[in-house]
Amino acid sequence: MIFSPRGIIAAALGALSFVGSLHAQPSFEGSLPSREVIEDSAERRAAYLARIDEVNDWHIDLASSPGSEVKLTFSTISMLLQRGEQIERCNRRMLELMDPEMVRSGPFWMFPVVIAAHAGRDVLSAEASASIREAFRFKRQLRGDTENHWMMYYVSLYLMSELYPNEPGESWYTGKSSEENLAETRGWLIDWMDITTSIGQGEYNATHYVSEYAIPMLMLATYSSDPEMKQRGKMVLDWLFAELANVTLEGVLRGPNSRVGDTAVVERGRTSASFLAWLLFGNTPPQPAHGGWPVYFATMAKHYHVPEVIYRLATDRSEDILQRDRARTRRYWRYSDQHMPPIYKTQYLRNDYAVGSHQGRISDPIQSHVWDVTWREDDPRGKHPTMFSLHPHDSGKVMQMFFAAYPDSVTGGLLAAGKPSYVEPDKLVGSSPYEKVFQDLDTVIALYDIPAGTDHERVNGFFSKDLRDLIEHESGWIFARGGDAYLAYRPLADYSWTPHLIYRGVPATPGQGYSYERDPTGSQVLVSPHAKNGTILQAASVAEFASYEAFQQAMIALPLEFSLEPTPTVTMTTLRGKQVSVTFGEAPIVDGTPLDYTQWKLFEGTHLNAEIGGRKLTITHGQLQRVLDFNTLTISDTVTSGK
Amino acid sequence: MTPLKTFLTLITLMASTTFSTAAPEYDFYICAKVNRDYVIGSKVETVNGVFQRTDEGAWVHQGYNDTTLTAVAFDPRDRNVIYTSANNGLWRSLDGGKHWRICNDWDMTEARHVAVDPNAPDHVYLSLPDGIAVSTDRAQTLVRRENGLPERGKYTQLVTIDRTQAGRAFAGCEVGIYLTENGADSWRRVLETTDIVNDIQQSPHDPDHWLATTQSAGAWSSRDGGLTWSPIEGVPRAHSLYNVTFDMTNPDRLAIGSWGLGVLTSEDGGKTWQDRNTGLPEPQRVWRVGVDPSGRLYASVHTQTLFYSDDFGRTWQPDTLKGSLVNYFVTMPKSKQ
Repeated sequence: MIFSPRGIIAAALGALSFVGSLHAQPSFEGSLPSREVIEDSAERRAAYLARIDEVNDWHIDLASSPGSEVKLTFSTISMLLQRGEQIERCNRRMLELMDPEMVRSGPFWMFPVVIAAHAGRDVLSAEASASIREAFRFKRQLRGDTENHWMMYYVSLYLMSELYPNEPGESWYTGKSSEENLAETRGWLIDWMDITTSIGQGEYNATHYVSEYAIPMLMLATYSSDPEMKQRGKMVLDWLFAELANVTLEGVLRGPNSRVGDTAVVERGRTSASFLAWLLFGNTPPQPAHGGWPVYFATMAKHYHVPEVIYRLATDRSEDILQRDRARTRRYWRYSDQHMPPIYKTQYLRNDYAVGSHQGRISDPIQSHVWDVTWREDDPRGKHPTMFSLHPHDSGKVMQMFFAAYPDSVTGGLLAAGKPSYVEPDKLVGSSPYEKVFQDLDTVIALYDIPAGTDHERVNGFFSKDLRDLIEHESGWIFARGGDAYLAYRPLADYSWTPHLIYRGVPATPGQGYSYERDPTGSQVLVSPHAKNGTILQAASVAEFASYEAFQQAMIALPLEFSLEPTPTVTMTTLRGKQVSVTFGEAPIVDGTPLDYTQWKLFEGTHLNAEIGGRKLTITHGQLQRVLDFNTLTISDTVTSGK
Repeated sequence: MTPLKTFLTLITLMASTTFSTAAPEYDFYICAKVNRDYVIGSKVETVNGVFQRTDEGAWVHQGYNDTTLTAVAFDPRDRNVIYTSANNGLWRSLDGGKHWRICNDWDMTEARHVAVDPNAPDHVYLSLPDGIAVSTDRAQTLVRRENGLPERGKYTQLVTIDRTQAGRAFAGCEVGIYLTENGADSWRRVLETTDIVNDIQQSPHDPDHWLATTQSAGAWSSRDGGLTWSPIEGVPRAHSLYNVTFDMTNPDRLAIGSWGLGVLTSEDGGKTWQDRNTGLPEPQRVWRVGVDPSGRLYASVHTQTLFYSDDFGRTWQPDTLKGSLVNYFVTMPKSKQ
């Protein structure tokens, strides 16, 4: 049973942040970035390069400070090697890191080393380079058990095998020759691209793990000597960043998310996605210490920049965006008739807020996030600009669907593996088979039908400390203001309030995994301890109503009927005038027509469009269009007439 | 004596009624994960993988340090040919562990078990979360052989080979036990279960006697070579039954390892079962049980250590390998190499 160590990097970041606190980090600690759209492409590129330099400068400076005990990491080594600075120090440190006692196993060790190997291929000493090569002989590398693991593993092994071609199996830990390694790694990578561009990404819209895809693809685009793989890397980067740009709200990625952590699900701006948005688009602050793993993206970032059409998607919210897109679950090994069933995502973004959801099913067993409304905060740092509900479900048998593990012990290991909340009743991440969600524009209806005996028979709703003017109205609606959005939340069963407690990593006994303490944040959790349950959410812009009271009256006046027995069901008219009827387990009905998800395309909406099985994405903004065609491995840019 | 003759001698002995105790002619191995909190990317590393027990009772690590080994198998003709199933798939060494090769391509992962057909030793069976792969050339090539397995429900925890007939094997899958009698060219279900089959074992005393354990569908017994199966009434279904073992020194002695039930033993061939957890740590979370060639019973207790009993579970003593989880016990004829 293996999990990715988000907690590991959190602990490392904690230390780095402390050291960094002695060291100003301009974009994180300084004023907000200008959100003015940079029209001139040369100026955009210059601003992008300046942000890259800021990352590199900060980390190099941190590792070079007089008296600093910080040793060079692979990322800093890569930065220095690319600049041609402190080469002898890099050589010495590399030899230390390649000592057999220091060499680790797994994709999170592999990719930083491979970046350093390629960055230093012409400047590292022969001895230092040979030490890296030797580590790939003697140390068995684990492939892992999730797609992001395999992505990092296969790109790393691919690029090392390209760097050292025509070498026999005895010289690789795999026992395979360089050419056999290339064939295997290339096979997986192309298969992943085929699947992703045909039926969608498995780890879609991930707040942190987006970097575990972006970094390997940038590695391919930067270092591969095969023009095809280099092109594929560039195209996947465009694919990933087009979606990131399209579904972020001023650089803040909101739900739904295949993967999200306990902090990022509420502090929506503190994610790797925000770091990438800052770096690529310049429209939000980065994370403290640049977030850890994403720093590796910055080491290579000069070899890529987003095309203008993607930049415009990220920075223009002058018109509403509506996307209906497909993704897929993580693969189901067992206990299901389907292998990677579809996820149907609805994304509705406006200037002041965004509402997103998927239909409700187990997507990732631990860290998925099904729906939310997130509002725009001028400064997202430290803010909890979001509202949502969920069934806090945990199940050893559900974990078995995804992992080759036993049900009895699999959940107990999650705390030590950096996933502390999985079995907790007040958790705020995770998906459930007993939650079904319907969204139309900025209306969400989430229904819950939780069998008796299930962990846990309750629904949690998140209410931010940053909400203003919260009113528990006698009508049953809870009204609040978030930024320039009005929010109406309707719990369909009785509830009470508990403080929201965040997880804070604390030092643990070496070798015993991770430990956490919990601190109140000021936010609240609405707890509705009823197995048959539901939430209705409606959002609107402040500018749409004459007053807060007018919004409330409009909501109260909406026709609404609901019942929870025997099956939760809601019939209502939305604020946007849609007649909707939603019953748990049945197709939602909108204006008399059942919603047929099977007809949904891979991407269909304002800016992104693609057919299922098409392997081709069309990205559009205004007169700009880019087509990524994986059938022909071509990138086509067109500008339509403005007339 | 050649390794093959040694192996055939073992088969003959297994078919007899009783073994002498403390038989020194066998090697005893385990696959163990010692650093229990390892996760991908972790800096926590200790020694894991295959351990061989010395005649003095110590455990000596063999080959690679791999946290993810689920099983080990040897070519009965040549102990230098070693197979391990692991996270990356199937690893093979042809030189006694000096060099290893990943035998599978990218489309096989997280292998659950590996087995070698003793009567066709070039044939290797790899159990996977999405089916079964077989090699007929000592794992130089691996191909899927799943004809007869369901499209869904073929999560395969292990394949156990019938030592009496080449190409005859049982697969423990999500929805039952499947039998092949033609080297995995085709499979047919011989037992339908409501949950995954965790273990299938053949008696060393009677090759027609088989036992199987499941996650939540109880324990099962067959007396006709695995063609028909009956539930073992004395074993509760309420808890996961991780594995079952025979005692090669005594045909009446059986043991089951369970999460929740701990160690259950029978000393009357499975008619009655006893709780044998006195002296083991609470709660009763036994990952695997095993019996060595001398009849010593082992229990790997989750997050604790390996325990052993010389009175078949009445009293227990801690062994070494603190923090270990033993995934697999293997007894082989003592290597002459």
